[in-house]
Amino acid sequence: MGIILMFTLWGSWMQDAYALPAFARKYQVNCNVCHTRQPRLNSFGEQFLENGYQMPGTEDGGIVEKLKYGDVTLDQVSNYLGILFGLNALENTQLRRDVPGSGDQTDIASPTILRMFTIGTFAKNVGFLVDSTTLFAQSSDLELGRAFVTVNNLGGMDWAHLRVGRLDPSAYFSFATDRPQFIPVGPKLAPPFGSFATPAVDRWAPMPSAFASKFYGLFDRSRTAIMPYESTLYNSDKELGIDLHGRPFGNWFLYQVGILNGGNERAGDSNHSKDWYVMTRFDYAQSDYFSANLSGFAYFGNHNAKVSTGADVSRSRYGVAARLRYKWLDVYGAYTIDRVTDLPSGMSATFDATASGVTVETHALVTDRLLLGVRFDHMDAGGLLATRTSATFLAWQAKYYLRSNLSMTIRHDMNLRDAEGGMSAARNLRNLFSMDLTAVF
Amino acid sequence: MRVQTLMSYWLCLSIAGLIGHVSSWAALADSDIQLGQKIYERSCVTCHGEFGKGDGPAAFYNSAYSAPRPRDFTVGNYKFRSTPSGEAPTDQDIFRVLTNGIPGYMPSFSGLSEEQRWQVTAYLKQFSPDLFRESPTVVDLPDPFIPFSLKSAQQGRSVYLEMECQACHGLDGRGTGATTLMNDLADSRGLQISSTDLTFPQSFKNGGTGQDIIRTVLTGLDGTPMPSYEAQLQGRSEDAWHLVNYVLSLSPTH
Repeated sequence: MGIILMFTLWGSWMQDAYALPAFARKYQVNCNVCHTRQPRLNSFGEQFLENGYQMPGTEDGGIVEKLKYGDVTLDQVSNYLGILFGLNALENTQLRRDVPGSGDQTDIASPTILRMFTIGTFAKNVGFLVDSTTLFAQSSDLELGRAFVTVNNLGGMDWAHLRVGRLDPSAYFSFATDRPQFIPVGPKLAPPFGSFATPAVDRWAPMPSAFASKFYGLFDRSRTAIMPYESTLYNSDKELGIDLHGRPFGNWFLYQVGILNGGNERAGDSNHSKDWYVMTRFDYAQSDYFSANLSGFAYFGNHNAKVSTGADVSRSRYGVAARLRYKWLDVYGAYTIDRVTDLPSGMSATFDATASGVTVETHALVTDRLLLGVRFDHMDAGGLLATRTSATFLAWQAKYYLRSNLSMTIRHDMNLRDAEGGMSAARNLRNLFSMDLTAVF
Repeated sequence: MRVQTLMSYWLCLSIAGLIGHVSSWAALADSDIQLGQKIYERSCVTCHGEFGKGDGPAAFYNSAYSAPRPRDFTVGNYKFRSTPSGEAPTDQDIFRVLTNGIPGYMPSFSGLSEEQRWQVTAYLKQFSPDLFRESPTVVDLPDPFIPFSLKSAQQGRSVYLEMECQACHGLDGRGTGATTLMNDLADSRGLQISSTDLTFPQSFKNGGTGQDIIRTVLTGLDGTPMPSYEAQLQGRSEDAWHLVNYVLSLSPTH
């Protein structure tokens, strides 16, 4: 509680700042020029992102003001370096009481996440991003996240932007996986861990179902279990590959194609078959404080997972998403269908090869500082028939911005299917309350 | 079956959209104004809106419940001018804002080439053609120029008080005058607006140099409570510069 009080007082004392994290400092604007509220992007921020971290319609990337290397000062370094610090101030989990060893669990004030990112431009039309994350709940190791180079405006303004490296494919989708407005709440796992072992899930992670793996009984190419709630495939937040996108006909149409390793690997590239994807997005309206867009994608997997026998299978995903913004209201949702092919012949009777998921989220900016949100998730799970369990969750969240880079969040996830019973993790979790503090510098 | 149906619908939508837009896209000629429109539609439209009314989809989030919202170019109420209050800005005024941006709210578009910024300037004027029908007259800067000195700044304080700047900006210039504290200030859209903190020149929307400040004082910021002091300072050139020097002296870094 002392830490919460410290953050609150600190927020009250701080003056309203113009210069905040990296880009805001670099361009001398406040966060809300690009964000509906940090971290979700607004239309202007989306176009800045699409243009490889350069102002929309330009090829500059800030090189006009760039100094010689010998003149670089800490001020200039801060134009490229950002730090996010998240604190899980309070977490209360209510599990079913009829399950042995369950009951309420409360955790107080544990540092959760430290994320460092550097983003910018090397030169005209050449940008970069590197981010690393430390999840203190799991280890104190610094894990490399995205790391890629962008080459922008190939063939003309907005014709083609290239990204190469570990990237987040869904960055331009109507409902981007990264920059979630709902704070991610992780799972609690117990042994067995290891090769072709599926950990016991003491607490389900209520992640967006449309982006989740959805299958029970799948493993990545390093034989680690892919949990059904994990973001994967097109919606992975970091996958090695090449991505091309652009708006050659104007703001109304965006195309995206890409090739990925698809193996869900932390490092290396054992999947020589490669996955590929295509996405198109239509944008409507740019006035009356209103805009809408509609996206569709197809992701074709190729030997990108394994089953417990060690055989390779292919996972593919097809999805649509829409987003609508009007004044203080922001609504977005996605529906995806996943398919597993190339199953060993002996498994076809015990493995459901199709799964689907839907996620709908809405936010309302009630005041300049208060953002209220609601999210609905439904997963029609696939995979091993003996263990697969569908899940349906409803969550609400209140996020209060003490400053535009400092927020306090209260979130409540409710399991809408806990009355159906069963011993699986997806039914065991009844309620999850959490309270977080996030600061971005 | 579900997947094939989904993809078929998506393919049809893509082709129909493409045919509908390619024809209008190809028909655009390349005059300065039309080139300016193309740039506007990529660089400016998300905040200023398709029709220049300051109602783009990103406009609301920048300043949801308080000023400033992006400029509405159709009402001809330009804030940053070198011309008398109520008149149109010069082309150079528009070009300057595009180049420098507005601290806190609008990034600099110096990444556009000079030619492109002039093309956007030409296009912006199309939103309020009546306003730009006559050539604007530029307000003359007071002559002689008085360079900064502590003595001049001290004299400027009495001008500051005489003009009642403290009512909004406060006695210490921190933007905490009585009118501001009572939340009585609103812009032309009725949105609550705060007074500029004069001790932080990096945040001055119309620029923080002496030249910028004298321009703001003489022309005012149309659409905001900041009036033009051109009439009050008529024939008082030295006092005008003393006032500017006093404002400059409020900055700890000056």
